[in-house]
Amino acid sequence: MNGKEEAKKRTQLLKRLREEHKDTVARTQALLKEQNAIRKQICQVMRDAPKTVPEVAEATGLPASQVLWHVTAMKKYNLVVETGMCGEYYLYRRVEETKI
Amino acid sequence: MASDKLRVDALVVGGGIAGMQSALDLADQGYQVALVEKEASIGGKMIALSKVFPTLDCCSCITTPKMSAVAHHRNIHLLTYCEVQSIRENGGGFVAQVLKKPRYVNEDLCTGCRQCEYACPIDLPDPFDRGYGAHRAIRVPFSTAVPQIAVLDIENCLLCGKCEQVCPVSAVDFTQTPQQLEIEAGSIVLATGYEVTPRDAKKEYGGGKLPNVIDALFMERLLAPTGPYGHVLRPGDGKEPESIAYVQCAGSRDQTLGVPYCSRVCCMYAIKQAMLISGALPLADVTIYYMDIRTFGKGYEQFYQNAKAMGIEFVKGKVARITEDENQNPIVRVELIDEGSRVVERTHDLVVLSVGMLPRYNPQPLYGVPVADDGFVEVPSPNISPCVTDRPGIFVTGTAAGPMDIVDSIMTAGAAASEAAAYLRARKSASSVSTTTGKERELVYA
Repeated sequence: MNGKEEAKKRTQLLKRLREEHKDTVARTQALLKEQNAIRKQICQVMRDAPKTVPEVAEATGLPASQVLWHVTAMKKYNLVVETGMCGEYYLYRRVEETKI
Repeated sequence: MASDKLRVDALVVGGGIAGMQSALDLADQGYQVALVEKEASIGGKMIALSKVFPTLDCCSCITTPKMSAVAHHRNIHLLTYCEVQSIRENGGGFVAQVLKKPRYVNEDLCTGCRQCEYACPIDLPDPFDRGYGAHRAIRVPFSTAVPQIAVLDIENCLLCGKCEQVCPVSAVDFTQTPQQLEIEAGSIVLATGYEVTPRDAKKEYGGGKLPNVIDALFMERLLAPTGPYGHVLRPGDGKEPESIAYVQCAGSRDQTLGVPYCSRVCCMYAIKQAMLISGALPLADVTIYYMDIRTFGKGYEQFYQNAKAMGIEFVKGKVARITEDENQNPIVRVELIDEGSRVVERTHDLVVLSVGMLPRYNPQPLYGVPVADDGFVEVPSPNISPCVTDRPGIFVTGTAAGPMDIVDSIMTAGAAASEAAAYLRARKSASSVSTTTGKERELVYA
């Protein structure tokens, strides 16, 4: 079987699985959409300068615990880094900005 | 469903510290062992802890070599992500039907490189970090997982195929289906472990709704080098806490929760965590509200005295209620027994509930092994045979039999392995024409 046929077979398999798990996929897609919207807000606040979790929470209107969860997730997968402390809170910024 | 067969001397159910130790002790004696673990990695609760009491040795440094030894032992067949579905007797032995759940990853190809995990777009609460950290729909369970093989959670998967595209060895396999495995075993060792009191069990302690009231297992993660934040921070807003309180017996010796027994580990883990916090946050005040401090093991009392000498405050009194102020700081209402039973309210940055141990699994329906009134596996003669259950050939180890610490879990693991080995020898002697006399057999059997 050549590469083109294999790719076609894979696409068909995923299509069939999506149909079989359509409720799961719909729920997960909604979750991802919500996650991306929250991440966008958090990253916008961090765009100009590193921010603490309460600062991000105040600027976005999101609960601080929710902001911390998303920052923790982004930190784990190297999208956000810590950049020192401000009082009792750590400062976080986006990795892209660190590279500049 | 495809089916496979395996014949071993002993089947160990549960891959926590007790199950691993029992499997190793049996395998080192030359017995063939199958270790079945329902999760995608062995390690159990212990691998998620920070340090052990009273030596303050690193938990990961103790557990990881054992996990590795189990995986590489020539006499151990390690079956992760598998669950025992039924047990039947067969000529004095047992036949277990085991379900091997699909990982959707080819175990022979996956190298654990985690490229699939980084490509996956969805973040989900990670139970390894008590839900406070995140993992992806496809992931290696945790950094020191054994085996280092990714697992895909199809129930939370977008089926976008990104993991499949980035895998350098084409290990992602969406065609996998559940497999049936049949294991014939001469004996069984139950090492099914425990659960902790749910954080929302007591409405007096906020019913799980106060963000800065956590359970002690999450504090273990905060103190572990692989913890979700990398520091001891409170989950409500990421603040580094300056005042931390422990509420003892938050789930044990509590008739309102139907848990009359002492969980035996909470005093010691609270003292241990308080000492570790003193190291991680030298300026923080740590208070432990207790009914009694029970330090019964070797070196435990000295550990307690050391904690007091370090400046950790021990306050005798049962916490009646926990509320919070406008900044989500928990307020503890407590009767100070040593101060004329004065009732006070104290505000802290973070409160840790020293939650108790609860039975996790009832083996009665599947294994025909009864549980006692407390829900843990019944041991008919706890004083002379603490690992022997009501059913011949089935033994119990670790916290499946009742609350105990790591030291005792390892000790009972050795005991269960010895009981199982003696049983197997007696069975072998009885079934073969041997020179062993009946009297000797009896001795071996006992």
